[in-house]
Amino acid sequence: MLELSNITVQYGVVKAVRGVSLKVEKGEIVSLLGPNGAGKSSLVSAAVGILPVAGGTIRFEGTDITKKPAETVVAMGLTLTPEGRRVFADLSVAENLHLGAATRKDRDGVAADIEKYLKMFPILGERYHQTAKTLSGGEQQMLAIARSLMSRPKLLMLDEPSLGLAPRIVDRIFELMLDLKRDGLTMLVVEQNATDALGISDRGYILASGSLVYEGDAKAMVDSEDLMEAYLGSGVH
Amino acid sequence: MEYFIQQLVNALSVGSEYALLALGLAIVFSIIGLVNFAHGELITVAGYAMFFAAATWLPNPWLALPIGIGGAALAAIVFEKVAFRAIRNASTNTGILTAFGVSIIVQNVFIIFVATRPKPVQTPDFLSSMITIGELTVPTLQVLETVVTTIAIAALLIILKKTTVGMAMRAASKDFMAVRLMGIKANWVIQSAFIISGILAGIAAVFIISRRGAVDPFMGSVPVLKAFVACVLGGLGSLQGAVIGGVALGVFEVLLQVTLPQEITAYRDAIVFGVVGLVLVAFPQGLLGRKVELGDKEA
Amino acid sequence: MNHLLRTARNSALPIIVLTAVGTLIYFFAEAYQVRIAYAFFMNLVVAIGLQVFMGNSGVVSFGHVSFMGVSAYVVAILTIPLALKKTQIPDAPFGLGFVQFDVVTAILIALAVTVAFAWVSGLLIKRVSGAAGEILTLAVLVICYVVFNAWIDLTRGPRSLYGIPIASSLPWAMLASAFVIFVAKFFRDSEDGLQLRASSENMLAARSMGVRVERLRLKAWVLSGFLVAIGGVLHATYLGTIGPNSYYFTQTFLIMAMVILGGMRSVSGVIVGTALISVGSELARTLENGPMVFGTKLPTMFGLTGFFLGAVIVLCMTLRRDGIMGDDEFEDVLRNRRASKAAKAAADTAAQAV
Ligand SMILES: Nc1ncnc2c1ncn2[C@@H]1O[C@H](COP(=O)(O)OP(=O)(O)OP(=O)(O)O)[C@@H](O)[C@H]1O
Ligand SMILES: [Mg+2]
Repeated sequence: MLELSNITVQYGVVKAVRGVSLKVEKGEIVSLLGPNGAGKSSLVSAAVGILPVAGGTIRFEGTDITKKPAETVVAMGLTLTPEGRRVFADLSVAENLHLGAATRKDRDGVAADIEKYLKMFPILGERYHQTAKTLSGGEQQMLAIARSLMSRPKLLMLDEPSLGLAPRIVDRIFELMLDLKRDGLTMLVVEQNATDALGISDRGYILASGSLVYEGDAKAMVDSEDLMEAYLGSGVH
Repeated sequence: MEYFIQQLVNALSVGSEYALLALGLAIVFSIIGLVNFAHGELITVAGYAMFFAAATWLPNPWLALPIGIGGAALAAIVFEKVAFRAIRNASTNTGILTAFGVSIIVQNVFIIFVATRPKPVQTPDFLSSMITIGELTVPTLQVLETVVTTIAIAALLIILKKTTVGMAMRAASKDFMAVRLMGIKANWVIQSAFIISGILAGIAAVFIISRRGAVDPFMGSVPVLKAFVACVLGGLGSLQGAVIGGVALGVFEVLLQVTLPQEITAYRDAIVFGVVGLVLVAFPQGLLGRKVELGDKEA
Repeated sequence: MNHLLRTARNSALPIIVLTAVGTLIYFFAEAYQVRIAYAFFMNLVVAIGLQVFMGNSGVVSFGHVSFMGVSAYVVAILTIPLALKKTQIPDAPFGLGFVQFDVVTAILIALAVTVAFAWVSGLLIKRVSGAAGEILTLAVLVICYVVFNAWIDLTRGPRSLYGIPIASSLPWAMLASAFVIFVAKFFRDSEDGLQLRASSENMLAARSMGVRVERLRLKAWVLSGFLVAIGGVLHATYLGTIGPNSYYFTQTFLIMAMVILGGMRSVSGVIVGTALISVGSELARTLENGPMVFGTKLPTMFGLTGFFLGAVIVLCMTLRRDGIMGDDEFEDVLRNRRASKAAKAAADTAAQAV
């Protein structure tokens, strides 16, 4: 469904991603793991078109989107929930959700989706008319995910959805992703929290210093203690 | 009392004019960080659009009004497409200097193709009439200016609150990348901001031109300076700040005009700018400005 | 001392070239060409003066032409003969109608007054950063213009002051620009200049330096005010007559285009920019007046010069933001050329050795 081949991303002369190839098939959850500064955010940002790629091609559902700007890519059904949430702090929850649906014309469908996600994230319903900056970190992450979902993506990329959240909330978010998968959503999850992420994933990739160092089946990766120690610095306890 | 009310109406109308211009500047600044020096030339373009319309094929002063406003909006679109798009992600300095250049070009285009001398423009007669309510006589123009500005600000608020593009503009002023991640086209948001700034400048231009009765290539420079100062006074990039700064500036100016002895009124603009400078020393962020933190868009 | 010597060496090249060209023009060219050369050197002084602030602090200033105006007016008011003063500004305040200084004293006073004014305005400017600060510099320009126009008793208002003793000539302008080039380069490479430039390029560094940046900005502002004031002196003492319109937007456009085209971060850049703009606007002015070309008279096109300056600024900003020279001075360009030549030679010998 999403196919990155040989992607390079550069900031000036610094290469953040060096020739990485990666695939996500329809219906999968795929984890993209790696230490700080590995280039994970750079890679997904390039995939969605908010960063230019210095080399390689990106295909989404068979179409070459390498040169397409983010707004076009999102409208095609590939969306990113960026790192650090980045909800629109001065806008209300309702307005955030409406902007998420900006590409859609079906008013009724939008209304129905809002209804649906308010059920999925009851807290957003309670805070519906409050500005987003008054939400807690976990609530903001829920809002950020719901906002991304409002565009009805076919493939959702989540950049560190668990960052800075309490374990209980993290569990909620991972559960939610499984629900979304059951509804037919394909996902690519960037995570530092390797064990949990692999737990819900079908496959995983490990990125280090901008290069792919491992790819394989998620179950096998969790079980390989060596792998976890070597690249992710966290043994399985 | 009568004198007081007359001057109050006067002050509000001047303040409205500044508020309209400052709002346009603030909308553009808040979204792309551009200090649009060429904003004043929108007034000039509106003026010449009215002049040409009247002089050639549309000698109806009523039509001059929409033509002026449309001309300003169109000019705003052209400025954005031709000049500001190329420097979109550049520094504030690049923006301010580019806009400065655009402003010089436009002024000189009118000098080259029309003339340096002022050209008369006709606006509907009633704009120069007076309204009498009981004892009180005030110029129609001044009353209209305040009323129309209030309506324009209300309309703007509705747009910002209720429409997708309005929400996107508010969101983009903080985090443009996240707005694009919603599938919203950057060009669409930015162009809308320019169109709005053009329309607001066009409305102000209609009033300015009705008052002067003539257009010349430099007519935009003084009003835009005032609008800049209003923006800075209110806190650069803040829309409320622009309105409040504009009205405050207008009231202050009229106050000076009324209270200062005749021989000092020539210094009015110097005093206004000087006082604003002093205010900024006390409030470097402007009266309503927020402290800019590291990593924020530079303000 | 070391720094003085190095600056002397680095400014020698442009100074020598400019002096040579200036001398040739002074002795061999027609009177109107000498006038154009004088204008070039005068504008060079002002443009480099502006560069000292803009180039080092990274803050755009629209207000510097006012310093030119202040010093020109002070010189004028102090040197115009009493008889002429009585007809032009009979009600001059502070008893200025009854004093006349010799030119040198008047110039020193003018520079001192302008520096004092720059210092006071700088106290305000340094506090407000970013775009708001730049708008404030615009306020300086407007305030001065309004005062020049409104203080009729002192300045004769919108009408020109005339009768200033003509004390300057091309050699003086050349000398002044040599001095200004030296000072600008000295400041640029001084500890203060380096720190200020570092702060303008990196907001984080600027924050951590905090108060120091404000002080450095003030220093650059006052120094550049002083240098621009020299330009004002050159203006008044050459023309013998001045008016408020010389110190407003038109002059600001001109100087700004000069600084931007060459590259505001480099003194050498400003020299290049000033030379190019001077030639360009001279051409534009000729075209403006509808010259004869192949026997046909072209139509007059007033506004062409302004159009040209605006176009230069916009094109520069869209195509080559850092100007022609970017961060480089002439000596950097030469050194790089030499270095790349040496590298090439080394590569050649290495190739032969293989
Ligand atoms: N805007 C930028 N400018 C310059 N370098 C950058 C920029 N953003 C990221 N980098 C560099 O690119 C490299 C990869 O960064 P990236 O954010 O993609 O890593 P990451 O894997 O997402 O890390 P983390 O887990 O900390 O989020 C890092 O070395 C980083 O310093
Ligand atoms: Mg990251």
